[in-house]
Amino acid sequence: MKHVIVLGLGLGGLFAAIVISGVVLGGAAGCSSERDAAPAPTTRTAEPTDAIDQDLMIALGQAKNFHHKAKVYMTDGNLTAATAAVRQILSLGFPKGAPEADDVRNDARALLAKLLIGQGQLDEASRTVDEGIAQSQRASFFVANLHTVQGEIHEARAAALDTAGDPTKAAAARDERKQAIEAYDRSIQINEGLQKTLMEER
Amino acid sequence: MATRYTDDDDSPVPEPETEPSPAELAHARRFAEVVDKTLLGRIPPAMSADDRALLEVATVIRATHGSVELAPGTRRSIVEDALRQAVGAAPPSYSVVVPIERSRSRRWAPWLVAGTSSAVAAAAIAMLWLRPLAPAAQSARRVELPEDQRSRPADALIGPIARDHAGDASARIDTIFADRLDGFRARRMARGGKP
Repeated sequence: MKHVIVLGLGLGGLFAAIVISGVVLGGAAGCSSERDAAPAPTTRTAEPTDAIDQDLMIALGQAKNFHHKAKVYMTDGNLTAATAAVRQILSLGFPKGAPEADDVRNDARALLAKLLIGQGQLDEASRTVDEGIAQSQRASFFVANLHTVQGEIHEARAAALDTAGDPTKAAAARDERKQAIEAYDRSIQINEGLQKTLMEER
Repeated sequence: MATRYTDDDDSPVPEPETEPSPAELAHARRFAEVVDKTLLGRIPPAMSADDRALLEVATVIRATHGSVELAPGTRRSIVEDALRQAVGAAPPSYSVVVPIERSRSRRWAPWLVAGTSSAVAAAAIAMLWLRPLAPAAQSARRVELPEDQRSRPADALIGPIARDHAGDASARIDTIFADRLDGFRARRMARGGKP
């Protein structure tokens, strides 16, 4: 009787093993058939997320083209069209997390601000620079350049106040020049810090 | 007390009138239990060679006293074989007699089947358990890239931007694009031309 029970248990276990094995092997076969159905059945390693890929090159290529387009417009003296071309760089789609995206956009903002300064749109230029500084994820030479352009905007405002010839605005002009110096100092400070870091890395 | 020895055993043999020792009494009680179990059909799986020999003797003694009856099928088969032999027919068949080795293997067969099936079930469960971990282990493996093939800040490439060149973004994007294109091509070459 005992042997019959043990034999029954054994056969039950064997049946369970066959069922489980079937599920496992069936799953493996299913995976194989899915791979077989793929158009390129090759084994490939996962591409690192920080690799230079086609999307990054496309975005950089588009930024390059917009810059050249703006340059041609500037040569022709068409600052409005040049500004519009540079603005399009800000809306380019870069791969998520690509550090080049920040650099290219900040450089475009610096050029855009200078174009706006040339057109007398100082407030718009200041807003463009402030947005770039606020959105930057890290300190860089491009952020330092934005602070430089910010200093130029303050200088331009001071010059405009001086030109007005109104003695009541002299204090405001002095304040703008003071802010210009502070912006240049921030730019210098960022540049020095980055250069030190780069020298240590080498 | 005189002590005698048998021919093939050095153990002392007690005198007939000697009182049994506590160890002998315990051994006798244990052996009685073994005999009882055997009569009930529950033979212990392991026992000493001496006990097994004594048990066989006890079984034979009980059988000679007529206390053991053969199974009806076995008894009929033996009778038929004897009759057949008496009339000069086919030789008697002893198919009902199970060899000792085969009997032992029959005793172990259920355990063998149960053990094997359990092992297969355990292996299958282990496969089910480990299978989802394989992709995770693969994804955990990080491929280190050369720096020139990586997306990275352009600070080292461009350097500090002088105030006079604050608006020369066009020249800088050309430099960045050319550098990253070199890295992109190197990456494609490393992958055998695949994008």
